[in-house]
Amino acid sequence: MKMNQTINRSTRFRVLSEDQIEQIFYSALEVLERTGGNIYHEGALELFKNSNAVVNGNNVRIPTTMVEEALNFYPRKITLKGRSGKRSLHLQKDTVTFGTGSDLPFTHDRETGKRRRTQYKDVKDAGRLVDALSNYDFFMSHGIVGDAPNPQTYDRHQFMAMLEGCTKPMVLTSVDGEGLEDLWRMGCLIQGGEEEFRLNPLFVAYIEPISPLKNDRSAVEKLLFAAEKKIPAMYTPCPSSGATAPATIAGMLVQSLAETLLATVLCHLKNPGMPLIMGGVTTLLDMKMSTYSYGAPELSLASAANTDISKWLNLLMFSTGGCTDAKVLDEQAAAEQMMNLFYSYLSGANLIHDVGYIDHGTNASLESLVLNQEMMGMVRQFGKGINTDDDHLALSLIEKQGPGGEYVTTDHTFEYWKEWYMPELQDRSDYETWKKNGSKTMSDRVREKTQDLLDNYQPEPIDENLNKELHKIVDDADKRHA
Amino acid sequence: MSMDLSKISEKLISGDVEGLKQMTEETLQTDVNPGDILNQGLLPGMDTVGQRWKDGDMFMPEVLRCAKAMSGAMDILRPQLAEGDLGNAGTMIIGTVAGDLHDIGKDLAAMMFEGAGYQVINIGIDQPNENFVKAVKEHKPSLLGMSALLTTTMPRMGEVINSLKESGIRDQVAVIIGGAPVTEEFAEEIGADLYAPNAGSAVDIAKEHFEKKST
Repeated sequence: MKMNQTINRSTRFRVLSEDQIEQIFYSALEVLERTGGNIYHEGALELFKNSNAVVNGNNVRIPTTMVEEALNFYPRKITLKGRSGKRSLHLQKDTVTFGTGSDLPFTHDRETGKRRRTQYKDVKDAGRLVDALSNYDFFMSHGIVGDAPNPQTYDRHQFMAMLEGCTKPMVLTSVDGEGLEDLWRMGCLIQGGEEEFRLNPLFVAYIEPISPLKNDRSAVEKLLFAAEKKIPAMYTPCPSSGATAPATIAGMLVQSLAETLLATVLCHLKNPGMPLIMGGVTTLLDMKMSTYSYGAPELSLASAANTDISKWLNLLMFSTGGCTDAKVLDEQAAAEQMMNLFYSYLSGANLIHDVGYIDHGTNASLESLVLNQEMMGMVRQFGKGINTDDDHLALSLIEKQGPGGEYVTTDHTFEYWKEWYMPELQDRSDYETWKKNGSKTMSDRVREKTQDLLDNYQPEPIDENLNKELHKIVDDADKRHA
Repeated sequence: MSMDLSKISEKLISGDVEGLKQMTEETLQTDVNPGDILNQGLLPGMDTVGQRWKDGDMFMPEVLRCAKAMSGAMDILRPQLAEGDLGNAGTMIIGTVAGDLHDIGKDLAAMMFEGAGYQVINIGIDQPNENFVKAVKEHKPSLLGMSALLTTTMPRMGEVINSLKESGIRDQVAVIIGGAPVTEEFAEEIGADLYAPNAGSAVDIAKEHFEKKST
């Protein structure tokens, strides 16, 4: 028997020490007491006025005790169930899942090679790919349905397009509180009622503050509705370092944590025990091009640090990876997407979104979704770490085969090579074979695979009656907003 | 009596080494023609394995297990076969040239050829040129395979071919070469008959060559 052993069952990665996390946490508390945040919603201001918070006009300053109390009430585990009926997404500390991002206004048109407005069909197609590709765990819409009859109801149509394409759990954006209510009613229909939705949520609501430290009416409406109905939601700051947050990563983390903590207090005042998830697309404003960067290494670094903080706070984390600033799916795209996929995965964030984004969060690419399938597979393999039990150390095998022996025909190889990652699109052939098979590049293979899936993959259809009921909610919304 | 030889193919495809040996022995006890066991049982089985490998449905450890099963069955079957039963799958000499101690690529190719029904004589690594010539004289193979992993040892393969010429036996044997730095162009340059870019394709390339030759 060996004593005092530590075995890493996975690869380990951490950016911040506990002392650093405490520094950031105390600083965020200080921001809430000294600077506070602005809220543009009467109901929310009322809630704060009736508490120990200090309200001046739209500004709310919050004492530390309120934050510490609120933090005790958030779940450390949320399990989502897609419309397929499988409780497939177990969000809990260090359990990582991958999904797309949402609402990209443009789509890279696969036929013309140009970008154009995203349409209903593009969202459904993205859904089909996400449904078919094993490394995607959840679906955000990828694109925004630009052909919806009314921008005020786009979210309901978008949800329909998503449901038609994909059976996996989802993260949904919504127009406002009323929009979220419709989405939730649709979700309840699918899950079999309000109670069932509460135990088996179909989706998480995506909500964001406006950095620095502002909370607009529609965001707060959504937050309060989510709190009321106990709908899982993430309040995810999107600060750009150097523009809407300090240029230092530490300063950006302090500010975005203050934004998150303010939401935890607000939701707690509304209805304790709401399943709130911490979030953040923490990156920088490129100082040459004035763009919000999705490929900067600082995004990876700040996101991983943010995940460290979330774990220390016992909050679930919504993070970012698989995205790029590159305008097309080129070498830059692969390099940037791989880097932020890799570190978000190793950090142990629970929901990693924006996988497949190109053109700094403005352009949708179906091929990018397929390329990322392979990269996520590689990253997951790395995360498995190294097994060092006796069978894996293989001492007796090394002795048996001896100097000059071979391993390829041994039972040991026959059994354990299956632990390796099995590439789907990577080419490892020799040059002559590669040439003989048409000298295909990764782009060629990605294009073929994308076409193949679009031609052949169909998700499980939505039940006909259910489909009618869902459409009724959408139609009613369109009538109200006509 | 008629016998369903596809059972032999299935046994082979499943990679059951001992099971296939036993089945081969049992089948030989019946009045089935040994040539039929080979041509209607074993070889179609290996064809399926080869195809599945090419299609990405089977992988090397599995393919080699099938090859091992094939080779085990052939050891039992070979003494019973009539002349001509083996077709082109005759004898093969294989080795790594002088100065080169790498053997896994060459061994993989050897296993693949055994799997295809060849009787493979593996003369090993770091073999001086004259040993190749000697082996060809002694065993009269239909195929000579050579490999080199180092650019520094590649030229040895050309020297072996020249030695075969000098001994007047170059025409008796088809020469196939391979190894990471070797190219088709190099194979032509040194006068080899065939070039295989990897161990897996070597058998097919040899098969194609002999089929062309016999027509």
